[in-house]
Amino acid sequence: MNFRRLTVFFVAIALFSIGDLSLAQTAQNGQIQGSVDQVTLTRWALQHIMARHWPDSTATGAGKFQAGITEASLRDMINEAVHNGRARHNTHGRPGTIYEYDFQRQIGTTIDGGPASRLRVVVSNRNEVVTAFPF
Amino acid sequence: MHLDYRLNEDRETDWSSVTEEDLRYRVALGNLVFHVGSKDFSAAWGWIPLVDLAASFAEIVRKLEAGSASETFEFTESDAWIRFERKGEKVLISTSYGEGVAEIALHSASAAVKSFRERLRAELDRRHPQAAHNAAVRKLLGAA
Repeated sequence: MNFRRLTVFFVAIALFSIGDLSLAQTAQNGQIQGSVDQVTLTRWALQHIMARHWPDSTATGAGKFQAGITEASLRDMINEAVHNGRARHNTHGRPGTIYEYDFQRQIGTTIDGGPASRLRVVVSNRNEVVTAFPF
Repeated sequence: MHLDYRLNEDRETDWSSVTEEDLRYRVALGNLVFHVGSKDFSAAWGWIPLVDLAASFAEIVRKLEAGSASETFEFTESDAWIRFERKGEKVLISTSYGEGVAEIALHSASAAVKSFRERLRAELDRRHPQAAHNAAVRKLLGAA
């Protein structure tokens, strides 16, 4: 483990202890380069994602995560998406950045109920996750 | 073009402290009612942030009027979209979730979006008087 990874690890542990889930983030290969060091998944955002996109959510017209997802696995997927995904500016005046990553395996279902392998993560200008869903 | 909305009941939001991010993703949620000619592009998902939609549609119309050939509205919680393609003084509208392509005059689309925005603003002010004094609401929906 190099110094950068060690630093990110301890920052993540520190923020987790005060109620946030913190995720390391590196520059992207997409339209946005050299972005932030880390993003945060607040408890509020986690509740938002669970209400809309958890397997047992009754929300219609929204992608759903596959049964068996946990807070930890969601955190891992968001981490992977912001590290390795394509980044682009949010659209039509919405602040923040969108990250999209194809896991090459099913992670959930689309709004039509078909298999979804991609994850979209919306991150605010404060580097906080706003929402995340399969598509 | 019939552009309308159904606003969910909301007794929990403190409208004096609502932020732009709240309005873009979390509050003033409801359904989109959207008919163009014989095409129905409505979305009755219940979670659509209507202030965000109004502001985004207004931005899209501004860009089309300024000469943009195509603009796409992306819903906040899915990969569903609504596409607006300018063809001269007409706009072709299609969606990822509905069949067909509809056509409308650009000036009619502009008027419908302006009306949508004004009606939503008026209803929010009526339901939630503190919204009238909220800077984020004013930014996205304009002054009353």
